Amino acid sequence: MTGRRLHPFTLLAIAAALPALAWILPAPAGGAATAGIGLALAASRGLRRGLWPAVLTAAPFWLFLLLLHDVPTTIAIGLRITTMVASFVWLVAALEPARLVEAMVAAGWSASVAYLLAATLSAVPVLKARAKRIVEAQRCRGLSPRGGIAARLRALRALALPLVLSALHEVDERALALETRGLVPGIHRTPLAPPPDPAVERALRWVLLLACLFALIRRFM
Amino acid sequence: MKSLTLEGATFWYPATESPALREVSLEVAQGEVVALVGALGAGASTLLLVAADLAPRVTGGRLAGAVARRDRSGIVLPTPWTQASGMAFTVWDEVAFGPANLAWPTHEIARQVDRALERLELIPLASRDPTTLSGGELQRVIIAAILAMDPGLVLFDEPAAELDAGGARTLWRLIRLLAKEGKAVLLATSALDALPDVADRVVWLEDGAVRAVGTPDLLADVAACDAGLGTSVATVWRASGLPGPYPLTVAHAVQRWR
Repeated sequence: MTGRRLHPFTLLAIAAALPALAWILPAPAGGAATAGIGLALAASRGLRRGLWPAVLTAAPFWLFLLLLHDVPTTIAIGLRITTMVASFVWLVAALEPARLVEAMVAAGWSASVAYLLAATLSAVPVLKARAKRIVEAQRCRGLSPRGGIAARLRALRALALPLVLSALHEVDERALALETRGLVPGIHRTPLAPPPDPAVERALRWVLLLACLFALIRRFM
Repeated sequence: MKSLTLEGATFWYPATESPALREVSLEVAQGEVVALVGALGAGASTLLLVAADLAPRVTGGRLAGAVARRDRSGIVLPTPWTQASGMAFTVWDEVAFGPANLAWPTHEIARQVDRALERLELIPLASRDPTTLSGGELQRVIIAAILAMDPGLVLFDEPAAELDAGGARTLWRLIRLLAKEGKAVLLATSALDALPDVADRVVWLEDGAVRAVGTPDLLADVAACDAGLGTSVATVWRASGLPGPYPLTVAHAVQRWR
């Protein structure tokens, strides 16, 4: 299940249900199961795009947990955090923001709210691409991101500052552009190509919701 | 009929004491192309934002004076990559983003999008992913996206900055065509050589205020040439030490030589 053909709401439901179940189900078995599913989903998007980002993002949490807690607690919380990270990485890789906007508009949501949510999800790849361009530009000016800690810190500063400033500047320009293209609060956008939402996917979303509720009730009984 | 009227418009950006526009009065009629020229920081871009009702509504700041708009406006900003919606799979979708936001019926959206793509010679690119386009191609897509919303007042801020010579020629022809169809066009550009053929009137801005208004002949004026706002022909004529009045275009220069 790569998620490419799933309805955006189904993708969101899976990405929300997995972390919820990870925290509700008893540790470590529940966390292990959800982390396994989350990592499998991330891997389905490819090693470079899915699995490695998920593993590399989760790894520091494991390290800090190990420093702060005993091994059973580390495993319990680490698996839950891994589930959250893997689910998010999979969602970002699988969810196409344009499809989400179309789906939300077709479902009667405000287009500006839909755009805000979709833009948030697409911010990661956009910032990543911009960071790559800035690193290339800084390399042309002789700054190397390799070497010792001091050199890497210098390179990090040369990356972070233009990245943050350019992102802030672009926010202003993008606000102007979206206004002039009619994306203003309260509009009722015409859906151009709403993604199909088969009955089986609608049922799957209900099943996920009920599974979370059932697990929650079981947990407190 | 006036599409845009500014009377004594003065605008301050947030947290600034000095206004970016000072007492600007200007009218743009339907079917007219008005060009704003001036040095960097003269206020042309700010004037366009005020005309588009983006300043101060979106930018913040303070506006004094009166601004009256008869038609819905559309503005093409100078940086196409920040104007792309980021929510389109294809060029067609990108151009349709604005019309869809206007809640038009789908058949009307399709009609306007196809027409805009055709006008900007973008039909061959209609199914391309917008993220794979060059700067010039994306600029044409953004212009098509604004025109597809059928604005009565079209505002261009350096529209030819990303275009090659052929793309710029197409754009200038299109702007004249828009005026012929009855749209009002307000244009800020440093492509001065195009203005004799494109603009009906030229407004020279200096330090946020209107310094002079006239026909494109203004760009062969001695003072304009001194300020770096003459056409290439007028500037070369002046640099050669030949006497004024300076010719505006090559055709004018040929006439003078004969």
